[in-house]
Amino acid sequence: MNRHFLLAVALLLIAATASAAGIPGDADGNGVLDQPEYTAAVLTYLVGEGDLTRTDIQDATWVLARWDGRPLEVTDSSGQTLTLSRPLRRVVTFTGESLETLRSLGFDMEKVVAVDKYSHAKSAFFPGFQEKANVGSIWSPDMERVLTLRPDAVFLYATISTAACDEIQQKLEASSPGTRVFRFDCFKPATYPGEIRAIAAATGCEDRGDEFVGFYESVMDGIRAGTADVPEDGKTRVYFEYWTDYKTFASGSGYNEKLEIAGGYNPFAGESAEYPEVDPEAVIVSNPEVVVKLTGQKLAAGGYAGHDIAALEATRSAILKRPGWTRLAAVADDRVHVVHSDILGGAQHFIGTAYLAKWFYPERFAGLDPNAIHQRYLTEFQGLDFNLASEGAFVYP
Amino acid sequence: MIPLPANRLLCIALLIMVVPAAASGTAVTRALSTAEPGAGETFTVSLSIEGMALGGVVETLPAGYAFAGTDLPDDRVLVREQKIAFAVMNDTRITYSVRAPASGSGDITGRWEDFIGGTDGAVAASHVAVDGIETAAASGGADPAVREAGSPFAVLAAVAGILLAAYRGGRR
Repeated sequence: MNRHFLLAVALLLIAATASAAGIPGDADGNGVLDQPEYTAAVLTYLVGEGDLTRTDIQDATWVLARWDGRPLEVTDSSGQTLTLSRPLRRVVTFTGESLETLRSLGFDMEKVVAVDKYSHAKSAFFPGFQEKANVGSIWSPDMERVLTLRPDAVFLYATISTAACDEIQQKLEASSPGTRVFRFDCFKPATYPGEIRAIAAATGCEDRGDEFVGFYESVMDGIRAGTADVPEDGKTRVYFEYWTDYKTFASGSGYNEKLEIAGGYNPFAGESAEYPEVDPEAVIVSNPEVVVKLTGQKLAAGGYAGHDIAALEATRSAILKRPGWTRLAAVADDRVHVVHSDILGGAQHFIGTAYLAKWFYPERFAGLDPNAIHQRYLTEFQGLDFNLASEGAFVYP
Repeated sequence: MIPLPANRLLCIALLIMVVPAAASGTAVTRALSTAEPGAGETFTVSLSIEGMALGGVVETLPAGYAFAGTDLPDDRVLVREQKIAFAVMNDTRITYSVRAPASGSGDITGRWEDFIGGTDGAVAASHVAVDGIETAAASGGADPAVREAGSPFAVLAAVAGILLAAYRGGRR
């Protein structure tokens, strides 16, 4: 890294820090922008006096109108409380889930100045983001690029990959004190509604946040209600396999939480590892009533790119040919399904959970239409021109 | 540079001027109690404001004309020579008074900014002339930005400049 670059970064950081120091127009510096301070700032700006720019005045207006003239405090999923003195104008997301959630909330995507490399590569789901800066991944972040972008907020995971995310946060806090580092997961049913509301508050998208939480909870609460009276010994026995053969998950994992919400019983929930590899014979002995195979990432089949239903069908056909599987109740009853991680692992987990519920209890959830939920989410909340009838492949059958 | 047809350039120039204000839903218009005040007479200017919760309006009076008061509280008005700034807070109408000089004519011009919507625009100019008599020295304190944006000669000059630049670029 040459000296000129370092100097430029240092100057940018000084500017960013200065601009993030307090509420613009708070003349007495008491941390509260009252109406006389605001009108004085507006008037001097209008006649071309004073130091405040148009952006400063717009930010002061935001603080007065939306935050009652006070800084906004937002508590993230790591438990830290962050204070905002201005609305967010330059956001960097290191997780696709937070980026997707921001889009669900109607946050102005022009204010997202950089994204992680995986979101950057997903042109079908994140069209247009290929033009934005790519800051790498949480495991290999391009910190120089992050700093030169002068973000006022960076989004990281809260409870997964914590060591990598902590390191990024520490670097940002040390070199760019004006940058707020938010930690949200956006993929766990237990915390997602609260995260949506917190992010909505931080971005001034509260109304849209309420609307999205309402939609999300109507799906998830409907599933919970539909399985609430299923007795423990009456739950559908499910073998859920990761994209690696015979790798499943145990209690504590995000996937298990979704399986249990859908009323499934995981015979491997008690394994010590969160994602254990199990003995093929143990799967046969457990005799699952339903088998669910996950695709995506290490098992590339389906997803938003293309419309390759045949790839999902081939995945299913392959596992049906495993030795001894003709004896499984799931195979005999034709209840072997394939689901793509795009709709179960991340922010869209409520769509995949709806499919699980329908597969586990087809009679109880006869009226549930996961495809319609998925389409509404894409059209209404993601704002995508994406037709599930002719694009993408997410489940089979 | 590839030269564009002249009419397309003119359309682009007009769109750039018109769209930002039209798309915002904010509108500020001005009405005068009289456009031909008598010498030293005080007349009323009313600004009608639509769709602006928090914003500002800056009015610029012709030379010789003087601000003489407003119905807004004092802390929401600032006068600097010919400029009068108003802080708009959910107001739909602002009225202010102007004292005419012994003689003189010119335009009252104005600009508005909506700080929530992030939009701005010009308030159409209103012509005033003491006793209806036009004087050679017209508006003395018009906002330079308004003049540049509002004058048809300035627009024509800008379009001509663009066309000339395009023509020269295309010949290289």
